[in-house]
Amino acid sequence: MIQTAVEALPLVTLVGPPNSGKTTLFNYLSGKNFKTVNYPGATVEYSISKFLTRFNINANLLDSPGIISLIPSSPDEQVSIDALYSHPNLGKPDIVVVTVDASQLSRHLLLARQIIDSGFNVIIALTMTDLLARKGFRVSEAALSFELGCPVVSVDGRTGNGHSELIKEINEKIKRRFSFDKNKITRFSSSDNASLLSYYKEIERIENKVLLKTNGHSELKSNGINLDAANAQLVILSNPEVKENCHKIDETTIKIDRILLHRIWGLGVFFLIMAVTFTSIFWLAEPLMALVDEAFGAFSEFTFNAIGNNWLGDLIANGIISGTGAVLVFVPQIVILFLILGVLEDTGYLARGAMLIDRPLSKIGLNGKSFVPMLSGFACAIPAILATRTIPNKRERFLTIFIIPLMSCSARLPVYALLIAFLLPGGKSWLGGLMLAGIYIFSISSSVIVAALINKFNNRVIKEVDNSSFILELPAYRKPKLSTVLNNTYVSSKVYLQKAGPTILFFSLALWFLTYFPNTNPEINTEGLTQEVVIQKQAEERLATSYASELGKFIEPVMLPLGMDWRVGVSLIATFAAREVFVSSLALIFKVTNDSDPMQQSMIEAMRGATIESTGEKLFTPATILGLIVFFVFALQCISTIAVSKKETGGWRIPMLQLLIFTSTAYIFTFIVVNGLRAIGIN
Amino acid sequence: MKTAADLKYGEKVTIDDIDCSHPSSRRILEIGFTPGQQIELMNKTVFNDPLAFSIRGTLIAIRKNEADCIKVS
Repeated sequence: MIQTAVEALPLVTLVGPPNSGKTTLFNYLSGKNFKTVNYPGATVEYSISKFLTRFNINANLLDSPGIISLIPSSPDEQVSIDALYSHPNLGKPDIVVVTVDASQLSRHLLLARQIIDSGFNVIIALTMTDLLARKGFRVSEAALSFELGCPVVSVDGRTGNGHSELIKEINEKIKRRFSFDKNKITRFSSSDNASLLSYYKEIERIENKVLLKTNGHSELKSNGINLDAANAQLVILSNPEVKENCHKIDETTIKIDRILLHRIWGLGVFFLIMAVTFTSIFWLAEPLMALVDEAFGAFSEFTFNAIGNNWLGDLIANGIISGTGAVLVFVPQIVILFLILGVLEDTGYLARGAMLIDRPLSKIGLNGKSFVPMLSGFACAIPAILATRTIPNKRERFLTIFIIPLMSCSARLPVYALLIAFLLPGGKSWLGGLMLAGIYIFSISSSVIVAALINKFNNRVIKEVDNSSFILELPAYRKPKLSTVLNNTYVSSKVYLQKAGPTILFFSLALWFLTYFPNTNPEINTEGLTQEVVIQKQAEERLATSYASELGKFIEPVMLPLGMDWRVGVSLIATFAAREVFVSSLALIFKVTNDSDPMQQSMIEAMRGATIESTGEKLFTPATILGLIVFFVFALQCISTIAVSKKETGGWRIPMLQLLIFTSTAYIFTFIVVNGLRAIGIN
Repeated sequence: MKTAADLKYGEKVTIDDIDCSHPSSRRILEIGFTPGQQIELMNKTVFNDPLAFSIRGTLIAIRKNEADCIKVS
């Protein structure tokens, strides 16, 4: 029912080259109410929405991925272009709005021309007219409209100027949409280089006709529009040098690039910016994460007390509420990461970062464009894997996806914090910081080595071969606009929650089930014990006889060579829901009461006392703790990552290889570390 | 023949031809590197690769081997 109603609505599609202001326009027209959806069977995403009600347009609005031309260069572009001609769910578009950067007229008109020639019902939205005005030029909309044979409107996505005219044009076209014959839309096929060149010739002719020189800063309209416009154009036609000024790069951009893209310091500045980014992700997020953690802990305890000590109370308090907390605890970090990335992107720096790092990354089979996804991997692998879509070369994209789980994601942080606290008791926080930095450097170097190795054994792991290429526009520097950055942050965080949330929640519930059943109401001697101790004892007994403990004992033979027993094994299995579950799982197993304030301290005490039942040896020693750290650096214990990797690579091959390679590497290295340290007497 | 990969900082040249046998040649044309256009080498990284050129009023970074298919004079 709903589906047919959607199909009957007219479809307006937004198309444009990257950096042409298309998404800004989409956000303006749709408000923030849009859905991001994958094309069926593909990893290309599109956003679909309705127009805001105040525009009074009853139509679907589709935002397509940015494309440079209608001739695809990668499989993803192929999908985007196919969907432009005929969308799998929405059909052919009634109207196509093409965004064209006025300051990049000659480059961006290529796509616009190709779309017009394909027979679409086109409106041109001229963006970035402010940038062009700064150079002392403007575009005559009337002349461009005459040359292209379609309406042209200037819009400013940042101030909202010109949007009412665009809305008027869209409304006009929708009213007359039945006179437009969709069957006239034909595939653009002149794909050879010669026809590209003739397109450019034509575009340069148009550019000469529509580009107007403004007289310095004074407005044209002050005395006689027509005469002035004619004069302005005459200036361009008679002096080719004047047009050259229009093709000059923004002076400020050149000045900033003298520092940021300096041949020698450029890379140093880059690492400095990354280091600042990186530390602020942790610093700024930490108090917020603690807040979320505490809030859910308190809420969970409150619910448990309110419902009572039975399976329902436990399910709601420890299964559902704690599970939701496990998802939400990462939101602060992810929001801050996207905020910083958003600012860097909106200023134009991110593209330069990709350029600076392209060479070293290409040495190990990656691409400069792998850099942003890898950086995101330090917050969470899920958005990071989604971000690899910007890498056009499939092989490089798969390799990037492959190593992203090695980036030390924030879920590992609480685990490292606990293990480091165990190793370094009391007061030496600087040493802990140093150790943590060491772990990060270790994980980065490991990922580099793994990428290089996989690239060497290329065809056995990643079969895709593609032309490796790095062609990237470095946009002019602009002051970041807060609303754009906030909006992108909101969207990215929402995508993270939608993708990872249900999986983490599901596995938290599964884990709860395994640790609660079958002995739901264990009998213990309650004589002379307070209510709290009774609950505690029951929980211990329940866990010791649970499915989880059976599972743990089943895998104990695997854990013993690492100097660990079934309890650590169960906790490691639990980490597949989310790595930080390791901490709460250990807390559960080692009988730590929740109410005492320095929970970590009492937990460490309990860990120190723990011994392996069969041998009587101490369970946690510096050797096994270091072993565990190494295990967490390598092991792919995250169901959500596996699921997203499967989705993005289009099969089970890559995720299964990741699981196999990383987890066995983790096991082998942990074995070496634990037994090596014991051999040299550290225990 | 001289290519865009041989340029020095600040050297302004005109594109003569694009080597169509290079797999990236079409993308290079599509992004605006067409014969007759003036280009200038604006930035390099410490590894001398990729290179950033000014073309049609914008900066485009391309790899050295891709710049090699842009013949200039």
